[in-house]
Amino acid sequence: MAPNSRPAQRSEVLQGTLEMLALKLLAAEPMHGWGLSLELRRISGNVFDVNQGSLYPALQKMLRRGWIHAEWRATENNRRARYYSITRDGRKQLEAEIADWERTSGAVNRVLRYALQGG
Amino acid sequence: MAWYHEIVSSLGALFGRRRQEREMDEEMAFHIEMEARRLVEGGMHGDEARRRAVRDFGGLERHKDDVRDERGTSWLWDGWNDVRFAARSLRRRPGFTAIATLTLALGIGATTTLFGVVKQVLLTPLPYGHPESLVMVWSAWKGFDQTWLSYDEWEGWRARIRAFSDIGLFAEGSATIDGDEPERVRTAQVQANVFPILDVQPIVGRNFTAEEDRPNGPNVVILGYGLWQRRFGGDPSVVGREVRISGQATTVVGVMPADFRLPLDYGAGGRTEAWFPMATDAAQNGALPGPEFPRGGSNHGYNAVARLRPGTTAATANAQLRSLVAELEQWGYMSGVGFHAYAVPIEEQITGRVRPVLLVVFGAVGFVMLIACANVAGLLLVRGESRRRELAVRVALGAGSRRLQRLLLAESAVLAAMGAVLGVGLAVLGVRLVRASAPAGLARVADTTIDWSVLLFALAVGVAAAVLAGLLPALQATQIAPAGELKEGGRGATSGSARLRWRQALVATEVALAVVLVTGAGLMIRSVRNLLAIDTGFRADGVLTMRLSTPSTWYTDSTSVAAFWAELQRRVATVPGVEKVGAVRLLPLATDMGDWGLQVEGYAPPPNQGTPGDWQIVTPGYLEAMGLTLRDGRRFDARDDMNGALAMIVNRAFVQQYLAGRRALGTRVRIGGSDSTQAYTIIGVVDDVHHNSLVGQVKPKFYVTLAQFARAPGNTQRSMSLVVRTDGDPAALAAPVRAVIRQLDARLPISEVRTMRDIVNSSISGPRFAMQALGLFGVLALMLSAIGIFGIVSQVVASRAHEFGVRAALGATPGELVRLSVRTGVRQALMGLVIGIAISLLLTRTMVSLLQGVTPTDPLTFAAVVLVTGVVAVAASVGPARRAGRTDPARVLGSS
Repeated sequence: MAPNSRPAQRSEVLQGTLEMLALKLLAAEPMHGWGLSLELRRISGNVFDVNQGSLYPALQKMLRRGWIHAEWRATENNRRARYYSITRDGRKQLEAEIADWERTSGAVNRVLRYALQGG
Repeated sequence: MAWYHEIVSSLGALFGRRRQEREMDEEMAFHIEMEARRLVEGGMHGDEARRRAVRDFGGLERHKDDVRDERGTSWLWDGWNDVRFAARSLRRRPGFTAIATLTLALGIGATTTLFGVVKQVLLTPLPYGHPESLVMVWSAWKGFDQTWLSYDEWEGWRARIRAFSDIGLFAEGSATIDGDEPERVRTAQVQANVFPILDVQPIVGRNFTAEEDRPNGPNVVILGYGLWQRRFGGDPSVVGREVRISGQATTVVGVMPADFRLPLDYGAGGRTEAWFPMATDAAQNGALPGPEFPRGGSNHGYNAVARLRPGTTAATANAQLRSLVAELEQWGYMSGVGFHAYAVPIEEQITGRVRPVLLVVFGAVGFVMLIACANVAGLLLVRGESRRRELAVRVALGAGSRRLQRLLLAESAVLAAMGAVLGVGLAVLGVRLVRASAPAGLARVADTTIDWSVLLFALAVGVAAAVLAGLLPALQATQIAPAGELKEGGRGATSGSARLRWRQALVATEVALAVVLVTGAGLMIRSVRNLLAIDTGFRADGVLTMRLSTPSTWYTDSTSVAAFWAELQRRVATVPGVEKVGAVRLLPLATDMGDWGLQVEGYAPPPNQGTPGDWQIVTPGYLEAMGLTLRDGRRFDARDDMNGALAMIVNRAFVQQYLAGRRALGTRVRIGGSDSTQAYTIIGVVDDVHHNSLVGQVKPKFYVTLAQFARAPGNTQRSMSLVVRTDGDPAALAAPVRAVIRQLDARLPISEVRTMRDIVNSSISGPRFAMQALGLFGVLALMLSAIGIFGIVSQVVASRAHEFGVRAALGATPGELVRLSVRTGVRQALMGLVIGIAISLLLTRTMVSLLQGVTPTDPLTFAAVVLVTGVVAVAASVGPARRAGRTDPARVLGSS
């Protein structure tokens, strides 16, 4: 097997979560890629520290789905950067994903609690 | 509205690609720069921070590829890029590219050509309405497997076989289209219902009416499309006009479509081009009116085609025919000769004999295609071998394995595309070759064309070739571990042996497929040799023939006909190079011959059986010109003219059957049933001549002269074939002999100018076609396999150079090293041989109908295949193996 297949698998697992978190952050304010990456690392406790570049394919996918919108703007330091903002479809998607996530995590929590009580 | 964004994104990807690429580069560069700046602010040194930022970003190229993938139609652009890249890297290896392209082109060209043939012959519907419910109806009895109907039988089947909604008669003939340049064409007489039964309408004018299809009806004709174009410039107003045909004013009533042919026009005789009404009735045929049968049968001379009623099949018709014939036999109709009647679906009638040939040959060409793909796959594997470092670098730079596979598949796709273009070119030539060389006996083969469906097929074959040839090397490429590959310095010791095994399997497969083809070719060569070894009874080499007829308009009586032929023969004999010259009613192996009832002095046939004899009308000189061997008595000469004693020559079958134990010479024979006709006296006995086909037994036959035939039974033979023997090239005589005929009578059309060798060859056109195609493919397959073996031995020798060096240092002689290397090639061949023989044993069974005098498991053929394959394997191995023999231990060991 190729030695690089293991990290690829991990990033695939995280991909869905990554999208949801990115949407959540963009729902607060438009951000450029690096800013988003930094924010994700900060709030996730560096879970997304490896392979920062894998954010960009995810952004491209969300662009294609119409969940986010991109435009070139000047940064505070007057640099040109590509800013992403969430669209109405994106908000709907975010709500759906959060609901889904809560259902799943709730179920996992219940299982864990049951397991702890049973043990 | 997700679909809207998808489309915009895809369109953007299509049209704004350059901008998007630029933006992506900028965005990622911005990211890395910002990250580095952040790290510097955190106290890191500038260079260190930058390195760290790049590392944390991950494989830049890989992320770019992933972004491109997410754009929607990026595959299109990536594909295009891959193709351009593949084309560039192929251009760098012109030798490899040329061999791979040519190999695929040969495979695709051959496959496409044969698909064109198969499509034309087997897949294109016959030019009739609902051909599936059309049947040909035949009579048969002892010695005649498939013969004509009598008028009585037609009436009987029409009235009493419920499965037939209608049945119509037709008979072939020929006529002269008069004019400045008279032309002899094949024609047919058809009953007025024949075209409606075939469900074909004239494109101009109309069909024959019932009034026209009566004895002494008007002279009318329906023209074939080709004749109409050729002689009348395709002028529609010719319909309704009178034209002169065979000296008769004849009204054109219609023109048939271009692709129309009568069901028997697909045979060796060629197509009929003008049709007249049958215009006959029971009285003319000496038949009983209505569905009544004369006990002894009557003249059998008609072809019959019938339309099945909806819901019935040929099997229904055959069951009904069987029970009706059983009833008739009880009553005494033609009893004792094993009379029966049967229907054959028209499709089977027309393509039945070609089908097995084509299927075998088409299967064979599929094998060639597979071998070509295996060979190119092998070449690509070798190439992959030498590119492992390059690919490893790509992986290290972040190219995903899918991307590598795409790249490698793009390479085989480019090769296949070039192969397909070249292959279609070859197929155009191939189809031209097939059309030019298609023997007349192979129905519809000569009509093969390249149309869009054939091109589509070539495309499909090309795609299949790209996948077949490219998949294995592409999958192999995914197993590249950059670390190991780069560290090792590219030797790839362990996984190298796995790849070698793949190549060995490919080569073994190639050899196996080649063995099957060569076995098929071997069986066909033996069959055709057996066919050609059959004693035809005549000597075909050095004989030129052409057909002439002496129409009654200019040659009013038999005396003038006989005089014409005598004079013609005298003049042709003076042409330089001509050894012998004669003329005959029907050339052997060119046209089927029926028989005539005889009365042989001193011979009483068993009850209810006649004394039939095939009849041949000749001029003195024919037996010598055709090279028949005289067994007893004398040949015809000047004595046997109009006024001489009636003289007959018979064949040995005649003597065995009717004159057993008696002296043949001097026996008197009457032609026809009447005692009042004058009797012939047998003056000679000649060897049996195969007439209707090369195989099968020869029936009793008699020969009489043209001049005397007019006296008994009493009419003259208007169409004869001139037969000229030379010791040189017979085809070269065509022009001078034509000139002589023109000198004598410029009005006479000359047709069917052929050598006897050509006629003999086309009588076995099916087996010959199969032999030539399988032979060609077999040689091709062996060559490709040899290339494969050559490649694998080269690879083994190269990869074991180190080991050989050690062996040489330990005292192995060059001869031993060569033998060691050859063994690796021969081992693959041996494996392929065993598998190939096993497949052959299963597959050659399908060829049974093509074989003559040899079983599908013929030990001699299989032994020869083993020998040939072995020789090829050794020969292909020796070249690269000799390099092993030159191994210099000092150099090899020193270099590591």
